[in-house]
Amino acid sequence: MPASRFTQTGNYRTRYRQDQTIFATWAEQLSLIVFVGLLLALPLLLPKTLLRDVNLIMIYAVAVIGLNVTTGYTGLINIGQAAFMGVGAYATALAATRLNLPFFLAIPLGGVAGALVGTFVGLPSLRLKYLYLAVATLAFQIIFEWTVGHLPILQQGGAIPLPTVQVFGIRDTFFNHNIFWYYLILPVLVLLALLWRNVLRTRHGRALIAVRDNDRAAAAMGIHPGRAKLTAFLIGSFYAGIAGGLFAYFQKAVVIEDYGLHISVQLLAMAIVGGLGSLPGAFLGPLFIVALDRSMEAASGWLGAQNLFPEGVDAATALRPLAFGLTIVLFLMFEPRGLANWWRLSRMYFKKWPYKF
Amino acid sequence: MDLLPQLILAGVVIGSIYALAALGFVLIYKSSRVINFAHGQIIATGAFIAFALTQRGVNFWLAGLIAMLATFLLGMLIERVFLRRMVGEPIISVIMVTIGLSSVIDGLLHLTPYGAGSFSFQTPAVLTGQGLELFGTPLSRTQIAGVLAALGLLAGFTYFFNKSTLGITMRAVADDQMAAMSVGTSVERVFALAWAAAGLSAAAAGVILGLMSGLTLGGLAGIGLKVFPVVILGGLDSVVGAIVGGMLIGILENLSAGYLDAIVPGGGTREVFPFIVLIAVLLIRPYGLFGTKEIERV
Repeated sequence: MPASRFTQTGNYRTRYRQDQTIFATWAEQLSLIVFVGLLLALPLLLPKTLLRDVNLIMIYAVAVIGLNVTTGYTGLINIGQAAFMGVGAYATALAATRLNLPFFLAIPLGGVAGALVGTFVGLPSLRLKYLYLAVATLAFQIIFEWTVGHLPILQQGGAIPLPTVQVFGIRDTFFNHNIFWYYLILPVLVLLALLWRNVLRTRHGRALIAVRDNDRAAAAMGIHPGRAKLTAFLIGSFYAGIAGGLFAYFQKAVVIEDYGLHISVQLLAMAIVGGLGSLPGAFLGPLFIVALDRSMEAASGWLGAQNLFPEGVDAATALRPLAFGLTIVLFLMFEPRGLANWWRLSRMYFKKWPYKF
Repeated sequence: MDLLPQLILAGVVIGSIYALAALGFVLIYKSSRVINFAHGQIIATGAFIAFALTQRGVNFWLAGLIAMLATFLLGMLIERVFLRRMVGEPIISVIMVTIGLSSVIDGLLHLTPYGAGSFSFQTPAVLTGQGLELFGTPLSRTQIAGVLAALGLLAGFTYFFNKSTLGITMRAVADDQMAAMSVGTSVERVFALAWAAAGLSAAAAGVILGLMSGLTLGGLAGIGLKVFPVVILGGLDSVVGAIVGGMLIGILENLSAGYLDAIVPGGGTREVFPFIVLIAVLLIRPYGLFGTKEIERV
């Protein structure tokens, strides 16, 4: 019965074998195959200029999944995710330039460095909640930026160039740069997303959500809230470290401006616009914010050409924060569950069509 | 000329502005438990309104007063339009709304001709003359006037909270919203008033800072970050804490610049030292010097 339909509208399962299947219908299986095919073919379909943004979106998506672990699933406000990214990026850069490690070792090393620092920064979360923790991560962000700006080994925040990468005999050159990294970042992103999705199904993942919803009740059920919070920081900053390492290689250099406070705020905005505590949101958020940024650049270029603004006003530096801020505020006011909720609603619509409920 | 008193005096001068900025922050937190990340931008707005008025030939003092009135209304407006809907939402949402607002105000300021450049007030004639010498340290008249104005405003606010009916009402709401509501206090009015008062003190801080060290958007809005060490040290919900914290952070910052910059390569410890203090305070005494103890261990 269900196999003949596109989507499953009820529970028709009669055997345990059917309960264990990942795909309920062949249509779901097909849609996944088509989706993966599209992902693999994307560099051929998209213009080269857009591919760079797609790569950026994927890297930010890795960091946003991590931020979702700490802020979305565990409820620990983190205004320092870009600093954790920076820790990963600098660790990767040092491993690649000083230790001459290949990139497939340097990037995980960046993730581990991010995780170690992140767990250390998360230590105050054992004592602090909400606002205080937000301020603590904010302070870490500022201390991180300052420290990097003063360390000679890190070029005092200046550019540290990274070596060129070669995989299966294909070199990362100027011409294939975006395509090359697309095929490198995509598997990492898919792997990390699946990893988190499955961690979420274990008792450790459930413990995080329990701590977010009510940490005293969680403690009463035998969960150690402090350990859960540190786990959240560990996982979240590991993802940030990986994202930082990827970003470092993708940009071919590490510069402190890429890991500043405004990036932390942007990552938070991506997590919120996408939908806190949802995996699809971690992809939709970065997509939306990067697209918004690019469209504002285009819009300000057009408006500037129309001479709409007085002399000395740079339309781009005005419109970008304006649109960015308005997006955050409007989403929080009218759709706090983010784009993931729209995604869910539209899926439900097609599932139940032609009925409304 | 000895270094120590000089550093301490410079610390008091900048600390009084921190205190004034922190006051607005504390007012909002105390009444409505909202951390306002847009406070630096409100400070900048106030300063630039005053500057724009003086550019058009308005008297400096009058311009300052109008700017304070304008940010008074701006604070009320922000509370009315944005924050009132956020009552009862999770804390992360409320924080992000103020972060979003800070970005919006930033963008709006960039649309004015004052967004990118650096400007300075035409110093009023009273403040241009010979300064004062204290403990062998010269202080300009602007600096003295700035400290006096900040201290005067802080004293005024303290008096307002302790003696006037409205101030006592605000404290009552801060202590227990439910109880205040049950005796007929309008909590909404108190929230609006807190935001308005915060706006007023923000403009004052902006104008004083602009007079002492010039007007740039980055510099003025940056005070919004400096507020965090101040209020964490003083206690998030304590007006006295804001004043003491402001002075302490101002002094510590200058002492670190005076004594640590020589040791640390590259210097610039002034920017980071307050945040190291912040972390230390959070670990030892999270509720600050004067704050209410509401931290629970987990």
